[in-house]
Amino acid sequence: MDFSIFDYISVTTFWSILFIVHALFAVTLLGALTHQAVSVLMPVRQPATANFVTRFRAVQGAGYATAICVLWVITFLLGAWIYIKYRVAIRIPLERAGFWKTQGFFDMKEHVVSVGLALLPAYWFLWKNKSPEYDHVRKWVTVLLAALCWFAFLVGHVVNNTRGFGS
Amino acid sequence: MSANTAVSSKKKNSIVTSPKFRTFVLVFSLSAIVLYVLGILLGLASFTYHPATGRLEWGQTMPRRNEGPVMYWYGWILTAFIGASIMGFLATLIPETVTRRIPLALLWIIPLLTLPVFVNSLLPK
Repeated sequence: MDFSIFDYISVTTFWSILFIVHALFAVTLLGALTHQAVSVLMPVRQPATANFVTRFRAVQGAGYATAICVLWVITFLLGAWIYIKYRVAIRIPLERAGFWKTQGFFDMKEHVVSVGLALLPAYWFLWKNKSPEYDHVRKWVTVLLAALCWFAFLVGHVVNNTRGFGS
Repeated sequence: MSANTAVSSKKKNSIVTSPKFRTFVLVFSLSAIVLYVLGILLGLASFTYHPATGRLEWGQTMPRRNEGPVMYWYGWILTAFIGASIMGFLATLIPETVTRRIPLALLWIIPLLTLPVFVNSLLPK
Protein backbone atom coordinates (compact mmCIF):
# COMPACT_ATOMS: atom_id res chain seq x y z
CA MET A 1 0.00 0.00 0.00
CA ASP A 2 1.44 3.34 -1.01
CA PHE A 3 1.24 6.03 1.63
CA SER A 4 1.37 9.65 0.63
CA ILE A 5 0.92 12.47 3.10
CA PHE A 6 -0.71 14.44 0.29
CA ASP A 7 -3.71 12.07 0.39
CA TYR A 8 -4.53 13.74 3.72
CA ILE A 9 -3.30 17.33 3.43
CA SER A 10 -2.71 19.65 0.52
CA VAL A 11 0.76 20.52 -0.72
CA THR A 12 0.35 24.09 0.54
CA THR A 13 -0.69 22.86 3.99
CA PHE A 14 2.34 20.57 4.12
CA TRP A 15 4.77 23.40 3.37
CA SER A 16 2.91 25.76 5.72
CA ILE A 17 3.24 23.22 8.58
CA LEU A 18 6.94 22.81 7.83
CA PHE A 19 7.38 26.57 7.82
CA ILE A 20 5.59 26.93 11.16
CA VAL A 21 7.78 24.22 12.72
CA HIS A 22 10.85 26.00 11.30
CA ALA A 23 9.62 29.28 12.77
CA LEU A 24 8.95 27.71 16.18
CA PHE A 25 12.48 26.31 16.32
CA ALA A 26 13.76 29.73 15.26
CA VAL A 27 11.87 31.42 18.11
CA THR A 28 13.31 28.96 20.63
CA LEU A 29 16.81 29.50 19.25
CA LEU A 30 16.36 33.26 19.30
CA GLY A 31 15.26 33.20 22.94
CA ALA A 32 18.15 30.99 24.04
CA LEU A 33 20.76 33.00 22.14
CA THR A 34 19.40 36.32 23.37
CA HIS A 35 19.51 35.09 26.99
CA GLN A 36 23.06 33.90 26.52
CA ALA A 37 24.24 37.06 24.73
CA VAL A 38 22.76 39.31 27.41
CA SER A 39 24.35 37.15 30.13
CA VAL A 40 27.82 37.71 28.63
CA LEU A 41 27.31 41.38 27.75
CA MET A 42 25.87 42.35 31.13
CA PRO A 43 26.84 39.60 33.57
CA VAL A 44 25.14 39.64 36.96
CA ARG A 45 27.71 39.98 39.75
CA GLN A 46 25.26 39.42 42.59
CA PRO A 47 22.45 36.88 43.01
CA ALA A 48 19.34 37.68 41.00
CA THR A 49 16.75 39.86 42.66
CA ALA A 50 13.07 40.14 41.82
CA ASN A 51 13.96 42.46 38.91
CA PHE A 52 12.96 40.86 35.58
CA VAL A 53 15.92 42.29 33.64
CA THR A 54 18.40 41.03 36.23
CA ARG A 55 16.85 37.57 36.12
CA PHE A 56 17.01 37.66 32.30
CA ARG A 57 20.76 38.38 32.54
CA ALA A 58 21.42 35.87 35.29
CA VAL A 59 21.26 32.65 33.24
CA GLN A 60 24.19 30.22 33.19
CA GLY A 61 25.28 30.72 29.58
CA ALA A 62 27.36 27.54 29.38
CA GLY A 63 24.25 25.44 29.92
CA TYR A 64 22.72 26.85 26.72
CA ALA A 65 25.62 26.13 24.33
CA THR A 66 24.80 22.58 23.25
CA ALA A 67 21.07 23.32 22.99
CA ILE A 68 21.82 26.38 20.84
CA CYS A 69 24.01 24.32 18.49
CA VAL A 70 21.32 21.65 18.14
CA LEU A 71 18.58 24.25 17.62
CA TRP A 72 20.66 26.11 15.02
CA VAL A 73 21.26 22.89 13.06
CA ILE A 74 17.60 21.79 13.20
CA THR A 75 16.34 25.25 12.24
CA PHE A 76 18.92 25.39 9.45
CA LEU A 77 17.98 21.97 8.05
CA LEU A 78 14.26 22.77 8.10
CA GLY A 79 14.98 26.11 6.43
CA ALA A 80 17.13 24.39 3.80
CA TRP A 81 14.25 22.02 3.06
CA ILE A 82 11.66 24.80 2.81
CA TYR A 83 14.07 26.78 0.64
CA ILE A 84 13.40 24.35 -2.25
CA LYS A 85 9.73 25.28 -2.31
CA TYR A 86 10.51 28.95 -1.67
CA ARG A 87 12.76 29.08 -4.75
CA VAL A 88 9.96 28.00 -7.06
CA ALA A 89 6.69 29.02 -5.40
CA ILE A 90 7.66 32.24 -3.61
CA ARG A 91 10.73 33.73 -5.19
CA ILE A 92 9.56 33.63 -8.81
CA PRO A 93 6.34 35.57 -8.01
CA LEU A 94 8.42 38.00 -5.91
CA GLU A 95 10.73 38.55 -8.90
CA ARG A 96 7.75 39.13 -11.19
CA ALA A 97 6.34 41.66 -8.71
CA GLY A 98 9.68 43.44 -8.48
CA PHE A 99 10.37 42.85 -4.76
CA TRP A 100 14.11 43.03 -5.32
CA LYS A 101 15.06 44.31 -1.87
CA THR A 102 12.98 41.65 -0.12
CA GLN A 103 14.68 38.99 -2.19
CA GLY A 104 18.10 40.52 -1.63
CA PHE A 105 17.58 40.46 2.13
CA PHE A 106 16.49 36.83 1.91
CA ASP A 107 19.68 35.96 0.00
CA MET A 108 21.62 37.80 2.70
CA LYS A 109 19.81 35.68 5.29
CA GLU A 110 20.95 32.47 3.61
CA HIS A 111 24.58 33.69 3.76
CA VAL A 112 24.27 34.85 7.36
CA VAL A 113 22.85 31.53 8.63
CA SER A 114 25.58 29.64 6.78
CA VAL A 115 28.24 31.74 8.51
CA GLY A 116 26.51 31.00 11.82
CA LEU A 117 26.51 27.29 11.05
CA ALA A 118 30.23 27.39 10.31
CA LEU A 119 30.88 29.17 13.62
CA LEU A 120 29.09 26.56 15.75
CA PRO A 121 32.01 24.15 16.36
CA ALA A 122 34.23 26.98 17.62
CA TYR A 123 31.35 28.51 19.58
CA TRP A 124 30.64 25.18 21.31
CA PHE A 125 34.33 24.71 22.11
CA LEU A 126 34.59 28.22 23.58
CA TRP A 127 31.61 27.64 25.87
CA LYS A 128 32.67 24.17 27.01
CA ASN A 129 36.21 25.29 27.77
CA LYS A 130 36.27 27.35 30.93
CA SER A 131 39.75 28.82 30.37
CA PRO A 132 39.79 32.62 30.93
CA GLU A 133 41.82 33.07 27.73
CA TYR A 134 38.55 32.46 25.83
CA ASP A 135 36.37 34.88 27.81
CA HIS A 136 36.70 37.77 25.37
CA VAL A 137 36.23 35.81 22.14
CA ARG A 138 33.42 33.73 23.70
CA LYS A 139 31.54 36.92 24.47
CA TRP A 140 31.85 38.42 20.98
CA VAL A 141 31.17 35.19 19.10
CA THR A 142 27.99 34.75 21.17
CA VAL A 143 26.87 38.33 20.56
CA LEU A 144 27.60 37.94 16.86
CA LEU A 145 25.61 34.70 16.63
CA ALA A 146 22.70 36.36 18.44
CA ALA A 147 22.81 39.30 16.01
CA LEU A 148 22.91 36.95 13.01
CA CYS A 149 19.98 35.02 14.43
CA TRP A 150 17.92 38.18 14.97
CA PHE A 151 18.64 39.32 11.42
CA ALA A 152 17.66 35.94 9.95
CA PHE A 153 14.52 35.76 12.05
CA LEU A 154 13.30 39.24 11.12
CA VAL A 155 14.04 38.79 7.42
CA GLY A 156 12.26 35.43 7.36
CA HIS A 157 9.30 37.02 9.09
CA VAL A 158 9.12 39.91 6.62
CA VAL A 159 9.47 37.63 3.58
CA ASN A 160 6.66 35.45 4.90
CA ASN A 161 4.55 38.57 5.35
CA THR A 162 5.34 39.64 1.80
CA ARG A 163 4.35 36.30 0.33
CA GLY A 164 3.72 33.19 2.41
CA PHE A 165 2.95 29.67 1.23
CA GLY A 166 -0.49 29.47 -0.32
CA SER A 167 -0.85 33.22 -0.89
CA MET B 1 26.77 10.96 40.20
CA SER B 2 26.73 7.48 38.62
CA ALA B 3 29.91 5.84 37.32
CA ASN B 4 28.66 6.11 33.71
CA THR B 5 27.95 9.83 34.03
CA ALA B 6 31.37 10.40 35.55
CA VAL B 7 33.10 8.55 32.68
CA SER B 8 31.10 10.41 30.01
CA SER B 9 31.81 13.77 31.67
CA LYS B 10 35.54 12.94 31.83
CA LYS B 11 35.52 12.01 28.10
CA LYS B 12 33.82 15.31 27.20
CA ASN B 13 36.34 17.27 29.26
CA SER B 14 39.22 15.48 27.59
CA ILE B 15 37.90 16.46 24.13
CA VAL B 16 37.34 20.05 25.16
CA THR B 17 40.82 20.44 26.63
CA SER B 18 42.54 18.58 23.79
CA PRO B 19 44.89 20.91 21.82
CA LYS B 20 44.16 19.03 18.59
CA PHE B 21 40.41 19.47 19.03
CA ARG B 22 40.96 23.18 19.70
CA THR B 23 43.01 23.48 16.52
CA PHE B 24 40.47 21.54 14.47
CA VAL B 25 37.41 23.56 15.51
CA LEU B 26 39.15 26.93 15.16
CA VAL B 27 40.56 26.15 11.72
CA PHE B 28 37.32 24.46 10.62
CA SER B 29 35.16 27.45 11.56
CA LEU B 30 37.49 30.05 10.07
CA SER B 31 38.12 28.16 6.83
CA ALA B 32 34.46 27.21 6.34
CA ILE B 33 33.54 30.90 6.36
CA VAL B 34 36.37 31.89 4.01
CA LEU B 35 35.67 28.97 1.64
CA TYR B 36 31.96 29.78 1.61
CA VAL B 37 32.71 33.35 0.52
CA LEU B 38 35.20 32.12 -2.08
CA GLY B 39 32.64 29.62 -3.31
CA ILE B 40 30.18 32.42 -4.00
CA LEU B 41 32.71 34.79 -5.56
CA LEU B 42 34.44 32.17 -7.72
CA GLY B 43 31.41 29.98 -8.51
CA LEU B 44 32.69 26.89 -6.67
CA ALA B 45 29.43 25.12 -5.79
CA SER B 46 30.16 21.38 -5.56
CA PHE B 47 26.75 20.67 -7.07
CA THR B 48 23.78 22.48 -8.56
CA TYR B 49 20.17 21.69 -7.72
CA HIS B 50 17.27 22.31 -10.09
CA PRO B 51 14.28 22.62 -7.72
CA ALA B 52 11.58 22.47 -10.40
CA THR B 53 12.76 19.12 -11.77
CA GLY B 54 14.74 17.71 -8.83
CA ARG B 55 17.84 17.37 -11.03
CA LEU B 56 21.27 17.35 -9.36
CA GLU B 57 24.42 18.14 -11.29
CA TRP B 58 28.04 18.17 -10.18
CA GLY B 59 29.66 21.61 -10.18
CA GLN B 60 28.12 25.05 -10.63
CA THR B 61 26.11 24.83 -13.83
CA MET B 62 23.81 27.21 -15.68
CA PRO B 63 19.99 26.91 -15.70
CA ARG B 64 18.64 24.60 -18.41
CA ARG B 65 15.97 25.72 -20.86
CA ASN B 66 12.42 25.07 -19.54
CA GLU B 67 13.73 23.59 -16.27
CA GLY B 68 13.27 26.63 -14.05
CA PRO B 69 15.78 28.22 -11.71
CA VAL B 70 18.92 26.67 -10.23
CA MET B 71 20.14 26.64 -6.62
CA TYR B 72 23.83 26.86 -5.75
CA TRP B 73 23.52 27.47 -2.01
CA TYR B 74 23.62 23.78 -1.02
CA GLY B 75 26.66 23.30 -3.24
CA TRP B 76 28.49 26.29 -1.71
CA ILE B 77 27.88 24.92 1.80
CA LEU B 78 29.07 21.43 0.89
CA THR B 79 32.20 22.82 -0.79
CA ALA B 80 32.97 24.99 2.24
CA PHE B 81 32.41 22.23 4.81
CA ILE B 82 34.38 19.57 2.95
CA GLY B 83 37.24 22.03 2.42
CA ALA B 84 37.10 23.18 6.04
CA SER B 85 37.16 19.58 7.33
CA ILE B 86 40.31 18.93 5.28
CA MET B 87 41.91 22.20 6.46
CA GLY B 88 40.98 21.43 10.06
CA PHE B 89 42.47 17.94 9.85
CA LEU B 90 45.68 19.21 8.21
CA ALA B 91 46.00 21.89 10.88
CA THR B 92 46.02 19.21 13.60
CA LEU B 93 49.22 17.86 12.02
CA ILE B 94 50.98 21.18 12.57
CA PRO B 95 52.80 21.68 15.90
CA GLU B 96 50.67 23.31 18.57
CA THR B 97 53.24 26.08 19.04
CA VAL B 98 52.31 27.28 15.54
CA THR B 99 48.52 26.83 15.74
CA ARG B 100 48.43 28.62 19.11
CA ARG B 101 49.43 31.76 17.22
CA ILE B 102 46.11 31.90 15.36
CA PRO B 103 44.39 34.99 16.82
CA LEU B 104 41.12 33.95 18.44
CA ALA B 105 39.58 37.32 17.59
CA LEU B 106 39.42 36.17 13.96
CA LEU B 107 36.38 34.14 14.99
CA TRP B 108 34.27 37.29 15.16
CA ILE B 109 36.31 39.59 12.89
CA ILE B 110 36.17 37.34 9.79
CA PRO B 111 32.37 36.89 9.92
CA LEU B 112 31.98 40.66 10.22
CA LEU B 113 34.29 41.21 7.25
CA THR B 114 32.22 38.84 5.13
CA LEU B 115 29.07 40.94 5.51
CA PRO B 116 30.09 43.76 3.10
CA VAL B 117 31.30 41.09 0.65
CA PHE B 118 27.88 39.44 0.72
CA VAL B 119 26.12 42.78 0.31
CA ASN B 120 28.34 43.63 -2.65
CA SER B 121 27.68 40.24 -4.26
CA LEU B 122 23.93 40.87 -4.01
CA LEU B 123 23.92 44.36 -5.50
CA PRO B 124 22.76 44.67 -9.12
CA LYS B 125 25.75 44.64 -11.51
